[in-house]
Amino acid sequence: MALGYHIKHNVILYLYLRFSNQLRTYTYNSVSISNENKRIRNLTNQEDAIINSCVEDLSTVAPYFPKSFNLAAYTNGSETLQKLIKLNVDLSKIEKKPHVAEKLLQLDINSNMNGHILFLSDFVKMENMGIFITKNPMIFYQNIDDLKVRVNYLMSKRFSDEQIKYIIWKNPFWLMFSTVRIDRRLGYFQEKFKLTGEEIRNLASKKPSLITYNLKHVLCNLFIIKEEMGFQDHEMKHLIMNKPKLWMINDKALLQRFDYIHNVMNISHARILKEPEILLCRNFRIKQRHLFLQNRGRAQYDPLKENFIPLKALFEGTDTEFCKKYAKCNATDFNDFLKTL
Amino acid sequence: MVYFRDAATAFKSLNGLLCVYKPACVSIKQVQKTIKTNLCRDLNALPDRPLEQRVEIVGPTNEPMEVKLVPNYADHPLACGPRYINEDFRCSWGIHLGLFTSGVLLLGINDGTRLTYQLNTARITRAYKIHGQLGKATDTYFWNGRTMERTTFGHVTREKIDSVVAHMQAAHQKTMFELSGLHMESETMYELATQGPIRPANNKLPVIYGIKCVYFDPPNFTLEIQSVNEYEKYLWTLVHDLGVQLKTSAHCTGVQCIRQGKFNVDLALLRKHWQLEHIAVNMDRCREILEENEGLVRPKSAKLNL
Repeated sequence: MALGYHIKHNVILYLYLRFSNQLRTYTYNSVSISNENKRIRNLTNQEDAIINSCVEDLSTVAPYFPKSFNLAAYTNGSETLQKLIKLNVDLSKIEKKPHVAEKLLQLDINSNMNGHILFLSDFVKMENMGIFITKNPMIFYQNIDDLKVRVNYLMSKRFSDEQIKYIIWKNPFWLMFSTVRIDRRLGYFQEKFKLTGEEIRNLASKKPSLITYNLKHVLCNLFIIKEEMGFQDHEMKHLIMNKPKLWMINDKALLQRFDYIHNVMNISHARILKEPEILLCRNFRIKQRHLFLQNRGRAQYDPLKENFIPLKALFEGTDTEFCKKYAKCNATDFNDFLKTL
Repeated sequence: MVYFRDAATAFKSLNGLLCVYKPACVSIKQVQKTIKTNLCRDLNALPDRPLEQRVEIVGPTNEPMEVKLVPNYADHPLACGPRYINEDFRCSWGIHLGLFTSGVLLLGINDGTRLTYQLNTARITRAYKIHGQLGKATDTYFWNGRTMERTTFGHVTREKIDSVVAHMQAAHQKTMFELSGLHMESETMYELATQGPIRPANNKLPVIYGIKCVYFDPPNFTLEIQSVNEYEKYLWTLVHDLGVQLKTSAHCTGVQCIRQGKFNVDLALLRKHWQLEHIAVNMDRCREILEENEGLVRPKSAKLNL
């Protein structure tokens, strides 16, 4: 059984014990009488009083929610959290950010959340709602009118309905950005890459998270792709339209990958532009397949010569497929080779 | 292939030694983390136990109350997190391999951590393949260092390299006896020495039992080394010293561990096979090897375990 699970239950148990202890001390302190005899007599009276039947309805009397390390402790007592679980919201992920979890606890499903969920259901499918809320529970603190304005902004910029749906569902943080910020960012990308209106719409709907991504990181990768890798402006435009993710990945890994592909494997810029997926594949995968092909004398990537191996062989498919289709050998040969690296 | 009915039985069976193939430039910490994460991923994907029930007594207190059995939401995986997390696994390594060393790595999972400690104190022998290059010396003795000098190596022949290597091996014989912890001129020492190679008593000094050049194609060459107590940097310096003794210079281009005790490369799991099913099979095979070779974990004599 998971250790984490045990800890969580022990917390609840501990809180319960502490609470029951407090009750006992409270009854004891209420007997504040100087005379010892009187105190003992009163104590027995007090205990009698506890044993005597009570005719009042006490079901509404409940203790406060005690402090807890996680949201799971509150789920049984809170209808809101139960509803969220039924929506597939992962509370254990939300509680990783304590300030967000605290905010979530202050909400009520009927008064604060229903409107938002109803509004979002126009754009996000109900089965994906849980993923959406898990990623961005703070959406409930946004004013619904603001959200409507932000959607209207997208409509005014002539995004199609499909595109708007995709943007909102793929990037739960999009609606958190004010129209001014989104407008500025769209303008920034349009200007940086010299995109037309149609192209920026396609980019935003292909990778909505790029628009709201950390601009410092985007700028850093822009520098690497332009200056260190040496892609031209029009080539960069081609790259961002096909693989916008390149501007979001780790800069060091990107450069290392390019260095291996371009300088060790001698693949030209033009070839990389045709199959930019190769820049998104982890380096060790390309490396081990390339070394294996080299070992077999098959590392020939020039399409004009015979026995040509397409670049996609290096990153696509499983190792078995790769061995069968391109390296023309058994998967065990490849595994044996990997054990000599 | 092993098939598990549910996650709990699978987790209970994950105790023991695991033999993986560590890639170069990936640290042991990272290997451990990847294996733990993969195990958690596979365990969480297996059929889960049913949700816990909890008893609720509801209704007004002055009337007969209702006792209900309701599902316990606090036990829901979405509320209390995935059933298995990385912290549930203990993982330790048997013999440390440096960052740039690739090859066989022994890991102990959960109760297997004890085994790795015992293997470490039993000082099992390790075999390495060390790839070197003549003609260049670097400040770290490895390929990643700054070039310190360049020399010619046309005069180096297979015979010369063999003789230097044989000399290096002979020089280490003495350390082997010194590290046994006995007086060099005693009767006990003599009796011990007649049995063949002996294990060192502590882990202070590296001991080399055998060293051999297995591949020579100037400027590249490969040495095969059997040793105990060695570490990555020490193996690099060996290549450097070899270069100096050959009246040229050399640096190391790669270190690969091909055997640890009875665990060799064939047994090791490749990075793509670090999954629950493969790991379970591998653990069984490691357990079989340990059962076949009783002296491997708790050796009775000072004789070397090969």
